Order: sequence, then C-alpha cells, then structure tokens
Amino acid sequence: MRAPGGKDGLVAGDVLLAVDNVSLSFGGVKAITEVSFDIRKGEIRAIIGPNGAGKTSMLNVINGFYHPQQGRITYKGATRQKMRPYVAASQGISRTFQNVALFKGMSTLDNIMAGRTLKMQGSFFWQLFRHGPAMREEIEHRRKVEEIIDFLEIQAIRKTPVGKLPYGLQKRVELGRALAMEPDLLLLDEPMAGMNLEEKEDMSRFILDVNNQYGTTIALIEHDIGVVMDLSDRIVVLEYGRKIADGTPDQVKSDQKVIDAYLGVSH
Amino acid sequence: MNILYALFVDPWVQMGQAPDLLVQTLWEGLVSGVLYALIALGFVLIFKASGVFNFAQGIMVVFSALTLVGLHEMGVPAFLALGLAVAVMFVLAVAVERVVLRPLVNQPDIILFMATFGITYVLIGLGELIFGGNPKRMIADELYLPKGAIDLKILGGFVSLQKIDIAAAVIAAVMIAALAFFFQKTRIGRALRAVADSHKAALSVGISLNQIWAIVWFTAGIVALVTGIMWGARSEVSFSLQVIALKALPVLILGGFTSVPGAIVGGLIIGIGEKLGEFYWGPLVGGGIESWLAYGIALAFLLFRPQGLFGEKIIERI
Repeated sequence: MRAPGGKDGLVAGDVLLAVDNVSLSFGGVKAITEVSFDIRKGEIRAIIGPNGAGKTSMLNVINGFYHPQQGRITYKGATRQKMRPYVAASQGISRTFQNVALFKGMSTLDNIMAGRTLKMQGSFFWQLFRHGPAMREEIEHRRKVEEIIDFLEIQAIRKTPVGKLPYGLQKRVELGRALAMEPDLLLLDEPMAGMNLEEKEDMSRFILDVNNQYGTTIALIEHDIGVVMDLSDRIVVLEYGRKIADGTPDQVKSDQKVIDAYLGVSH
Repeated sequence: MNILYALFVDPWVQMGQAPDLLVQTLWEGLVSGVLYALIALGFVLIFKASGVFNFAQGIMVVFSALTLVGLHEMGVPAFLALGLAVAVMFVLAVAVERVVLRPLVNQPDIILFMATFGITYVLIGLGELIFGGNPKRMIADELYLPKGAIDLKILGGFVSLQKIDIAAAVIAAVMIAALAFFFQKTRIGRALRAVADSHKAALSVGISLNQIWAIVWFTAGIVALVTGIMWGARSEVSFSLQVIALKALPVLILGGFTSVPGAIVGGLIIGIGEKLGEFYWGPLVGGGIESWLAYGIALAFLLFRPQGLFGEKIIERI
C-alpha cells in the first residue's frame, strides 16, 4: 500500500476526484440532478442524505457502473464523461457494496486474492505450471493478502466459505477485498449497515486506520450520523438527487436545510 | 414371482455367467459416458461463468465439426482445417460476447436462455448455407485417429475394443484434466469463479466480464469441436447430431450444473447405466429403454440431491 503523495504525483489536500454538474436519470426518474463536489487526497469524505437521495447512484457513477447523461468526472487530472468499471478499478478505485457482494462460494482468502487480479501480471504459461516467476508472484501476493487478513483481524476465518459467515464479518471480508487492490480511492457503501455497536466501533477503527496508515482517500455513505460526524473530514449532503449542503461536520450539522431534510419541515 | 425373479435376480445371474459380455457392455457404457461428459462439460463451463443454460451447445458441436469437414472438402489440408475450425470457434465466441451477451448484460437468465435459441438457429442457417445440409464423413484418417479394433481374450470369451473409442477416452480425459487445472490454478480461473459468483463484485475488482465471457465461450467451442470430431468419427457429421445435446441434460441434473467433476462422473454413470439397463433389463420390456433410462436415473437422483452430485450447496442465510 502506498504512502500519501504516491506515483500519481498528488499530495494530501489536492483534488483527487471531482464530480462536475453530474445528472443521472433512469427513464423519467431523476436519480441525481446537477451535483458537483470534490474529494481531496487523504481525506475521509462522507455522502449522506435521506433514503432515495441518490447516494449509492453517486458511487455507481464514480466507479463506472452507471453512466451519467450529463456532467464530467475528473480523476487524477483526467476528465471524462463516464467511467468504466474496469478503468476505475485499474486506476485505483475500489469499493464495497450496500448489500455485500462477495464471491460466496469462495473462501475468505480467495475472495481477498481476487482483489489482486489486476496486480497479477505473470504470464499465463508460468501460471499453468506453478513455477518460476508465477510462483514467486503468487507468494508475494499471498504475503500482501495475509497482511490484510492480520490487519482486519480475520485470521480465524481464512479458509471459511464467505457465504457461511455472519453479516458483520462478510462486510469485513469485503473491505479486505477492496483493500487488496491497494486503492487510491476507497468507496464504502454503508460499511456499518446492520451492525451492532461493537461491530460499528471495530469498523470505524479499521476505516480510520486505513486512512491513517496507508493514506488512502475514502468516500463513504453512512446512515449513522454519529459515526459520520466522528469519522469524516468533510460531508456532502444529498436530498432528492440534489446537493443541499457541503462542508465540515460542524458546518453541515448547523445547516438549516440539512436539519429540515432530516427532521422534516412544518408547512 | 416370475417378474420379480426376472427383474432382480436373473440379470445378475446373466452377468455372472458371461463376464466377457458384462465387460464389453461396461466398456461401451464407459465410452459413451465419456462423450456425454464432454458435452455436459461444454454446458457447465458456460453455466458457471454466465449463469446461462446454453441451448446452442449441441449445434456448436455440429457446427465446429462441420467447419472442419467442410473446409477439408474444399481442399484445405486436414490439420490446417483443424486450426481454422479452432479459429472459427474463437470468432464465434467473440461475436457471441459482442452481439448477444454484452447488450443483454443484467437481463434475467431466461432472456439469455432464449438468446441462445437464437444463436442455435443462426448457426444452423450458417452451417447449411456454407457447407450444405448433407451428412458428411468425419476425416478421421486424415487426422491420424486410429481405426480398427483390439480383441482381448479374457474371461473365457473375448472383448472387442474399438481403437477410436480408446482414443476418445484418452483425449477426453486429458482435456478434462487440463480444464480442471486451468480453472483451479490460474488467475483467469480464479476470475472465472469470481464472475460465476457475482458480476458486480467481479467488475469492482477490475475483472473484465467481456474478456471472461469470450474466454469461456471459446473454451466451450473447443470442447464442442473435440466432441464433434469424436462423435463424428463414430457415426457421421450431420445436423441430427445436435440432439445428443439432449443427452447432456440428465448428465447435468445428475452431476450438478456448476461442477466439472460432476459432469464427468454424471456422464459416466449415465453412459454405463444406460448400456447395462438396455442390455440386461431392456428385453423385459421389449428393449428400447436406452433413450429414456437416463432421465429415469437423473430423476431418482434429483429426489435426494436437488443440487446434483457435486453441485454447489446453496448457502443461504436467513
């Protein structure tokens, strides 16, 4: 994993990703309307909002699952109208999903190994014979994966098929797979959904550690406002697909529009 | 009582009295089992990677074999024709991925299943248009496939083994071993299993669905070509060959749609069961049970193991 200010030439505080005037609709349903914000290198950026505000759609636009009808995305200085998942992944954007998308039949180890797909360059020929450069490469990748397993404290479930794991652990394995890609930008879609207090505290600690130790930039969606306020450096608030606030936790907390969106307004 | 005797005792007595006939029957069952396994393997590959039951697998067998034989008829040397047939299967795989799978990504499985019907009829049309609809002889000699038989004097009688059958068994075994290794031990194999489990998760770690699908369809095409050569060498190459694809259904039910070893073991059980049933129990009902016995065997298994012998246990937390 990379120190801040890695090979992309950006240092902490530079704009890593900018979303500019993005609109996305499905047929007649507008999911996102003219939203702009940026994510700076090294920060933890939260996207919050009531249900149906377009948060997950926003993440899907960033990593190329959805293609916006309008607007531009600038990532590491390159501007494009839409991302493709493969391009996003190969340029260091990794993510987790709201409803955990793991390879259920595969073990924890294999799931996290799958996160290293793009890092494996060894020739097909050598892989077939498990010999020479391919063997050294495999060992190197295994070392990285073990590092992540230690980091996330999931040594005990290394060989367990992930479909059998409880939900909280599945979320952790999914984070592990995302980390195995050594991402520059990590997108977390409700990393703490459905967790109890203890699990939430663990997950918060992992997120902070990833950010501190590896300098990974993180964008996360989360409903637990307390957690969001504690974790994030800056917060963008969406409602009905529009941006209604953007700023530090303190600014957002006292913003009248945000309070209205969450508590409702009397008419 | 007589019926019970004929059903449960007499066949075993016969087997004991003429062991050479038993061995001969087992051998024939084994050979057709290997070929069923090959066909089933083509289905399993595609089902694993894309969740699609590929109805076109049968016609792919015919089309690839037809390409090989047809090109040779046009004066292309045998081994060059073999190479070209491989190339054609590659083009087909890329075309299917580009024209059929990519536009239909994320559609329900049944839509993709119907699309494979479309592929079937396109291939039938193309095959008839280019190579004509007449049955053709497989160019077994030109490809140096052995012919003739080996007669073994054993068990007080003799057992006759067709050399082409031996070759088929050996080639199928080698190919299955290579495929199993490919999927277990290589990066592409791991990616393929990942795609089988979750498309969006596979995309998010940078696996290219398009590339994986093309690889899988190409692999299934190669399997189809080998199957076509072997079946063609035993009978002839014609469009009626595609019904052997239906033989793969009970094999798949038995072995599980997602398991390569399942396809092999399922194929062998069906092949051997069919021949034994036909030879020893068939006369009781006037013969001809070979065509449906496979489904009976599969159904019996289905009662006890709905996921098949080796199918993935469906893990669901509620």
